Amino acid sequence: MALILAGAPLYGQLTGAQKQLNLDSFETVWTTIRDQHWEKNPGGLDWQAVHDEFRPKIEKTETMEDVRAVLRDMLDRLHQSHFAILPFAIYQDIEHSEEGDGTPGFDVRALDGRAIVTEVAPGSVAAKARVQAGWEVASAAGKDLAPLIAQLASVPDLHELALERAVMARITGPAGATRRFIFLDGANASRTLDLRLAPPRGEMAPFGNLPPQHVWFESKKLGNTGYVRFNMFLDLVRVMPSFGNAVEACQRCDGMIIDLRGNPGGIGGMAMGMAGWLVDKPGQRLGTMYMRGATLNFVINPRAETFNGPVAVLVDGSSASTSEIFAGGLKDLGRARIFGTRTAAAALPSLIAKLPNGDGFQYAIANYISEGGKPLEGNGVTPDVEVKLTRDALLAGHDPVVDAALDWIQKRKGAK
Amino acid sequence: MRNLTRLILSGVVAFGVAASGLSLAQPLPKAETILDRYVEVTGGKAAYDQHKTEVLRGTIAFPAQGLTGQLTRYSAAPDKEYSMVELGPIGKIESGVANGIAWEKSVILGPRVKDGDEKDQAVRESRFNAPVEWRKIYSKVETTGVETAEGEECYKVVLTPSTGKPETQFFSKKSGLLVKTTATAASPMGEVDVEVTVSDYKSFGGVLVPTRSKQKAGGQQLEISISNVGVNEAIPPDLFTPPADVKALIDKAKGK
Repeated sequence: MALILAGAPLYGQLTGAQKQLNLDSFETVWTTIRDQHWEKNPGGLDWQAVHDEFRPKIEKTETMEDVRAVLRDMLDRLHQSHFAILPFAIYQDIEHSEEGDGTPGFDVRALDGRAIVTEVAPGSVAAKARVQAGWEVASAAGKDLAPLIAQLASVPDLHELALERAVMARITGPAGATRRFIFLDGANASRTLDLRLAPPRGEMAPFGNLPPQHVWFESKKLGNTGYVRFNMFLDLVRVMPSFGNAVEACQRCDGMIIDLRGNPGGIGGMAMGMAGWLVDKPGQRLGTMYMRGATLNFVINPRAETFNGPVAVLVDGSSASTSEIFAGGLKDLGRARIFGTRTAAAALPSLIAKLPNGDGFQYAIANYISEGGKPLEGNGVTPDVEVKLTRDALLAGHDPVVDAALDWIQKRKGAK
Repeated sequence: MRNLTRLILSGVVAFGVAASGLSLAQPLPKAETILDRYVEVTGGKAAYDQHKTEVLRGTIAFPAQGLTGQLTRYSAAPDKEYSMVELGPIGKIESGVANGIAWEKSVILGPRVKDGDEKDQAVRESRFNAPVEWRKIYSKVETTGVETAEGEECYKVVLTPSTGKPETQFFSKKSGLLVKTTATAASPMGEVDVEVTVSDYKSFGGVLVPTRSKQKAGGQQLEISISNVGVNEAIPPDLFTPPADVKALIDKAKGK
């Protein structure tokens, strides 16, 4: 507690040591943008002049709120999204995670300010305890989730993805540990369940220096429509052939649904590779990424056999990065119809770093322009057909987003 | 041979050229002289002419990403080559040139046939014994100055191919060996500036070959280390034949 108070005095006079930490934090923010922003002159500004203007202001600050206000004023000069200062307490919430990725076997989304179970994995601990889609998770491990969601949702520019992760961090933990959950079931009756966390679904996929991730892929038929879903654009040696096999097995399908809801992205090149099974015209691209010292066109390489029927891509606020590049590019090319809710608007590697004074600093290091000419960062992909998950639909056993996509595909078939 | 390393990397790059120290006092040697000297100091034309095939084996690494893998490159006179990189979680990446067709196949992007500048570049770099064949590869060569590269004073030679962008090679004034190359690589994702430094020359079949290279491209760095060059090894002729899925693309493009 003493450390927390020393690191993040919310109000009152700052000590000399705290003022020095704030100066160091200012320099960290300024230098990071100078060195890592995709433009040599960030935001078209004389960045050194910005430093010289704001450094004296930081030196005069007397409270942490003043410090944050000055830093935010400086970031506002960029007129770009995803540059933010996150107060210490909120940064702690976002970064909160226990060791381990054990899961009770259900997935949640923040719907209307509440953590709602959207899916229960068959055979999981949660399934055996008869947890159902549509139930509200009122608390996990003694933490009430609705206030957490409300607090995080109040932060401007915070990705919905970050919010979802903060919620999931309260639900997951070390495999083998037992966690107490208080649910509100379909009748809003309170149910307390102690669930033993199990290893997550999928296979562990290492990728260089990155921490290994559990990656899963599934494909099935919904009537005569192909349905594909995978949790990350990783493990390409397994996922790419699986995607290709699913497409090739669906050459006579009425359409294909690619469900990217909850998919936070991964290896950008996989978006190009997958699009190659859906686009038969050479030379098309999903968009262009601008980084310091490099401009990369996300060019589609058509496969010898492509699927030419209707393609629906499902997205939500947790569809980020490569998911947005894939969905946004196919939408701009007129190759896919997008269903769901607006994506995370986090097409880029937007990072959150801890500052010397304990606050968090969010910053983007590249700009990505989708083929339609619009930056994805800060805008996201807006669905052609906006369909929201609702608690009522989930309780009734429906996925309204999938239903809307299937309906569109059937109408396309009928129109032929 | 000296094009090998750049060839494997074509794909990434961005760089800051470490150069300085113009020397204005002495007349510069002709580029032709520098390029021919390179052939001499690496073994001489007669030694190169003894080589009919080469099989190069080594490792490839992206240190910042923690990715490492194996590479093998087969080449045969006059202009056939097949390369294979196996890079852990990225999978296998194959590429080849034969009969004027350049192709690539990877897990991530699938098979593709190169065209335009990218194809011209691949065909150019597939030429066997490239150092002795430079007159057939470049339409113009020019010495433009003296610069320090990798701590060595070097002649800076700009080589312009008949198609595509010029590249710049830095040859040690002292040893005559190639030290660095800067070029613009054509890739499906766009043009990428590439900087390649080479070192640790070793003799294989009487010809000195750089066995280490460090490359910067597109903000990434990669390192290649050559462990062996098999000279005049028997290479199955069909190794240079494009795989079936590449052939399917070629046929599709022809409307078959």
